[in-house]
Amino acid sequence: MKLLNVIRKELIERKKNLFIYALTIVLILLLQEFADAFIRKAVGNVIRNETTYLNNYSIFLFLGGFITTSVMFAQDMFSRTGQHNWLMLPASRFDKFLAKASLTTVGYPLALTALFAVASLLIEALALLFFQNPIHIFNPFTQHIGLLILHYMATQSLFLLGAAYFRKAHFVKTVLSLLILSLVITALSALFVRIAFAPYNNGFYGYHFVLDQNLLSQHETLFTIAKWFGYIGYWVIMPVFCWFTAYLRVKEVEATDAIQ
Amino acid sequence: MRDIRFQYGKQPLFTHLNLTIQKGNIYGLLGVNGAGKTTLLKIISGQLFPSEGESSVLGFNPINRDPHMLEDLFHLPEEFFLPRVTTQEYVSTYAPFYPKFDREAFNRYCEEFGVDQKQQLTALSFGQKKKFLLSFGLASNTALLILDEPTNGLDIPSKSQFRRTVASAMTEDRTFIISTHQVRDMENLIDPIIVIDSGDVIFNSPLYAISENFTIGLESAQPEPESAIYTEKVPGGWMVIRNRASHEDETSVDLETLFNAIVAHPQHFRNGLEQGGAQ
Repeated sequence: MKLLNVIRKELIERKKNLFIYALTIVLILLLQEFADAFIRKAVGNVIRNETTYLNNYSIFLFLGGFITTSVMFAQDMFSRTGQHNWLMLPASRFDKFLAKASLTTVGYPLALTALFAVASLLIEALALLFFQNPIHIFNPFTQHIGLLILHYMATQSLFLLGAAYFRKAHFVKTVLSLLILSLVITALSALFVRIAFAPYNNGFYGYHFVLDQNLLSQHETLFTIAKWFGYIGYWVIMPVFCWFTAYLRVKEVEATDAIQ
Repeated sequence: MRDIRFQYGKQPLFTHLNLTIQKGNIYGLLGVNGAGKTTLLKIISGQLFPSEGESSVLGFNPINRDPHMLEDLFHLPEEFFLPRVTTQEYVSTYAPFYPKFDREAFNRYCEEFGVDQKQQLTALSFGQKKKFLLSFGLASNTALLILDEPTNGLDIPSKSQFRRTVASAMTEDRTFIISTHQVRDMENLIDPIIVIDSGDVIFNSPLYAISENFTIGLESAQPEPESAIYTEKVPGGWMVIRNRASHEDETSVDLETLFNAIVAHPQHFRNGLEQGGAQ
């Protein structure tokens, strides 16, 4: 019950920003669709770009979702005036964290998907009315959309951690940290490959490195295990680690330097 | 609170602070600027953690900020943040967190303070916002209500209304702690008085104990130094505090003079009250 009250509070306090965000998305989609429809009507039989909605959806899902997640704790945890309300709100620390985390991880993609579906219906109806275009509605019930949402949920956990960890410029710092982390992992992976597959290398940089079919078939089990490790790491370990660490960070900030 | 130690960086603010608050009172927390009034209130409400010592608020350790403690405690800070919502939205959002919230009482307090309930909170003036939050805090019916400089930003009529409304909201199950450095605003409201100075509680006593033991009055001539505990030049004469003789009538307590006297001679007042009774 407390959790629901906290979620409700988060939504009510952000409703104006959410409304502006949603309106911006609808206007962008409307402009793109109308421009597309106008050109097609003017030029004639031009092949229609049916991926417009999907492209926009991916951008708003990932970029918009990451930015939204990044600023989720800014006012409550890292602002001098906002901290008081956050700390004094009669709900447990876990409820407060879970409300923000669930809204950005589950609530955001679901709301965005619903918005795209409804917006596409309205926009296509208008396009049909003004430009007599064939209808192409955004279909939220596809495997591709489901997979995108799952990928979002996994990767968004990194930005949730960044939002709780960094005191300012959460999004930029998270992106930079991920970039540095990627470079380090790439370098370590290259080193590992260089050592583990030494016979297949010629020189330090592995100029003639070739993973032939023979090698793959010889070590099929090993590659399958590595692939599953990758899957588990990406879909389970990374999100759980980020969520848990983000929660610990919230706990730490509240206990040590919440109000100074 | 027992043996509380708190410091900002390496600068200690409280070293061995002890404080007991009895329910059913409107405590006045007084102290000079920088004495640590706001810090003490934040320690009580669990927003700051002391490095040493024990504290118990409503039966809870405040550093845990247990939701059951928080739903029975409302803390109105001197500077506050209000979300961009209407007054009605604020109430419908936050009231469910306070099980004893009284909507009718809230409307009554808002009416008494003249708060417009149809506006966006961010469109209200600072004083209006403060009166809105005061109304909400009083209507929350929490066992502990902490008000940090509540009359800052209030106009003169609102200050008198504040005293009336706070007094009317008081019950024997509630405790109010009001921090202020504007003691005139709190006259006839706060009792007992807590004074903190130099990192310690130097005075914590009900006003009747002061009246029983001391006389406070305006005199036209400066008294002999040894005949008074404290003298202070004011327009129209001298405010004088003396030990009260048993045959003397009790006088009303001038909070400003009392506060100045306590800060100047804390030991004298402590001894006077510990000995008890009129001399």
